[in-house]
Amino acid sequence: MIRDKSNYLKILLSVFFIVCVILPLIQVLANIDAASWQELLQQPKFSESIRNSLTASTLSTLVSVSLALLLSFCLARSNIRLKNMFKIVLTLPMLIPSISHGWGLKMLLGNNGILTKWLGLTEGIYGLTGIVMGSVMYSFPIAFLMLSDVLSYEDASPYEAASVLGINKFRQFTGITLPYLSKSLISVVFSVFTMVVTDYGVPTAIGGTYTTLPVSLLKEFELNSQSGKLSIYGAILLLPAVAAFVIDLLKKEQSRSGFVNKAIKPRKGVVRDLLCYAVCIVMCVVVLFPIVAFAMLSVMQNYPYDLSFTTDHIIKTIDQGGDVFLINSLIVSALVSVIGTAIAYLCAYCTARTTGLFSRALHLMSITSMAIPGLVLGLSYTIFFSGSALYGTLAILVFVNTIHFFASPYLMIYNSFNIINKSLEDVGATLNISRPRILRDVLIPQTRGTLVEMLSYFFVNSMMTISAVSFLANIDTRQIALMINTFEANSLMGCAAFVSLIILVVNLIVKTTFYILKKALKKNKPVKTAA
Amino acid sequence: MENQNTKIVVNDLKVVLGRKTILENINFDVKDGEFLSILGPSGCGKTTILRVLIGLLNPTGGTVIKDGVDITKAAPSKRGMGIVFQNYALFENMTVLKNVEYALRLDKNRKAQSREIAMEMLKAVGLEAHAKKKPSRLSGGQQQRVAIARTLALNPDVILFDEPMSALDVDTRMILRDELKALQKRFGTTMIYITHDQEEAFAMSDRIMVMDNGVIHQIDTPENIIKNPANDYVRRFVVHNLQLKIDSLSRFSTVCVKGDESAQ
Repeated sequence: MIRDKSNYLKILLSVFFIVCVILPLIQVLANIDAASWQELLQQPKFSESIRNSLTASTLSTLVSVSLALLLSFCLARSNIRLKNMFKIVLTLPMLIPSISHGWGLKMLLGNNGILTKWLGLTEGIYGLTGIVMGSVMYSFPIAFLMLSDVLSYEDASPYEAASVLGINKFRQFTGITLPYLSKSLISVVFSVFTMVVTDYGVPTAIGGTYTTLPVSLLKEFELNSQSGKLSIYGAILLLPAVAAFVIDLLKKEQSRSGFVNKAIKPRKGVVRDLLCYAVCIVMCVVVLFPIVAFAMLSVMQNYPYDLSFTTDHIIKTIDQGGDVFLINSLIVSALVSVIGTAIAYLCAYCTARTTGLFSRALHLMSITSMAIPGLVLGLSYTIFFSGSALYGTLAILVFVNTIHFFASPYLMIYNSFNIINKSLEDVGATLNISRPRILRDVLIPQTRGTLVEMLSYFFVNSMMTISAVSFLANIDTRQIALMINTFEANSLMGCAAFVSLIILVVNLIVKTTFYILKKALKKNKPVKTAA
Repeated sequence: MENQNTKIVVNDLKVVLGRKTILENINFDVKDGEFLSILGPSGCGKTTILRVLIGLLNPTGGTVIKDGVDITKAAPSKRGMGIVFQNYALFENMTVLKNVEYALRLDKNRKAQSREIAMEMLKAVGLEAHAKKKPSRLSGGQQQRVAIARTLALNPDVILFDEPMSALDVDTRMILRDELKALQKRFGTTMIYITHDQEEAFAMSDRIMVMDNGVIHQIDTPENIIKNPANDYVRRFVVHNLQLKIDSLSRFSTVCVKGDESAQ
């Protein structure tokens, strides 16, 4: 009968998750003690940072999701041209670390910012305003991509039926569009809120004296890396992510599988299209501003006092080990890309192509990493692996990044596997074709496109992450993104801008390469015809 | 004891999945070269029987005997059976020829003749002209023929069909029915065919097994089921439904005759 050899693989993968996710997390929570609680509660800064975090995250989420909704509507419900180009530009901020967004804003709207001078403003935007603006820049592309995706799958039939019944546009929006978007909007709101509340890049760069929870955690870490207070901060930061995870899980349980009967084709509307063009162009300019600022500041002598061309910042960055750190980042990102993709692929194979309780348990473990912010993950690794042979090596950075970015590529391939005919392995069993052969000869060729996307996702995110690796990297294993922190501390704006630019350029090259590869693979893909 | 020409004997088959009993006390046999249809509504346990027969599902109890040998615990590929699914389950990344050839190439004894056998099978199902195409470029009926050729290529003496025509249009189903019967005649294969379509079962089968809710109500020739339905369920599900179809068709036959006359 069928002896499921994939069980051995499932055991191996479960051990991996237990060691790399569950045990470190338990260690963080176990580290919480009553004395630390008491101490923290007595500090006014603690409650202030919670208040600040909630205020900044709520405002950022509101603005970010509203803008994302507006932009995704502009692209999905109009007949404007260059939609793909707008989409690429609007998602460019996804290729740079969050701290770079803060830095970009500082360069534009700080006390000596380019725009501050041009506009004749008296002071910069440090504090809540800066954090909200930076966080919106950082989280907007994610919200925009999620909502664009949802809107592109909306069915035209309910709108056609509503038009036939004489229901006006406003009622169509409240009666059809909003209910359709409601569940996805909840997910988007939670994802954005979690991203912002757990981010320390933007508040570090432009927060000024407005301290948020992640910044407090970082300051506490610099004082005592084994403090129980760190775990309390970690546990608090886990809460929104866990809530988002549970809501997403419940939403998926309740959701029924739908399909698009008819894609929505927007009617002619010159005024509407002109407005959409205007909105898209303005947003693209806003998105491109900080990037242009990086490029300019990396080659300016001493902004705003000396605007002459220089290569000093580039040379200084290299002198301070930028070339070595870049190589470190490339090595770690390449390893995360390959190892992460391999583990996520095998995991999804086990959970999507085999059945049983073990598969479901492994699926749950695989998506758990979604509920752990990078900062908390890094902290848990510091506490759990401290003193082990792994600590202080590139390997621990590979593991932490693999886990940090695991859930999304895992879900990409999990969904791809679920679309492929479920009876292939059964047919294989009757034809004496083993499961590994079916995997090698049938499943892998059919999921090449997704594999390329997974490789790209792991690489790009690993290249720019700061939160997960900031506690774990030492002088030998330092990543280039972490140099932004150092330069920020020394007020070396030009160098920080140059590092952000390097990360953007590397990620753009990688993204373009994988895009070309995916296109080439798609050429060989069979065309579906009706039965 | 089974008869000499009995191919498969199923004894006291029981399948429990979770807390639910899917099949209980299932006993039947299949003759060598016979076309047996398992007829019943969705969820009655038809596919479960098929999965137990081919070895994709472990029964909770009972035995499956083939050619006098207990195969209850044998691996699916060691049973000398093939299966054709409703959804074809073709390897989309391979050409039609490679789909048929793939399993043969992995078999040391047949590797050398794999291309030859695959082409012969494609010829048998009328698809030799499509050998180099990818399955997605074929119609549903053609894809099902590829699945049949792939199964036939390994020369099984029993082929199981899991509602193979449910996704096809009426015209294609009619053509494929005849082709399947012709293939059975040519290769002498025993065929066990699952369907919920009474008309299909009656048009193709030597015997029909009528099932509902994990229980066999009657196994007999189509004629005997019509003449002597075992119980009310068989009378309602099979005889009555067939009668309804015949009645509705006969109404239209007079219309057709009148139409023909007026045309003349």
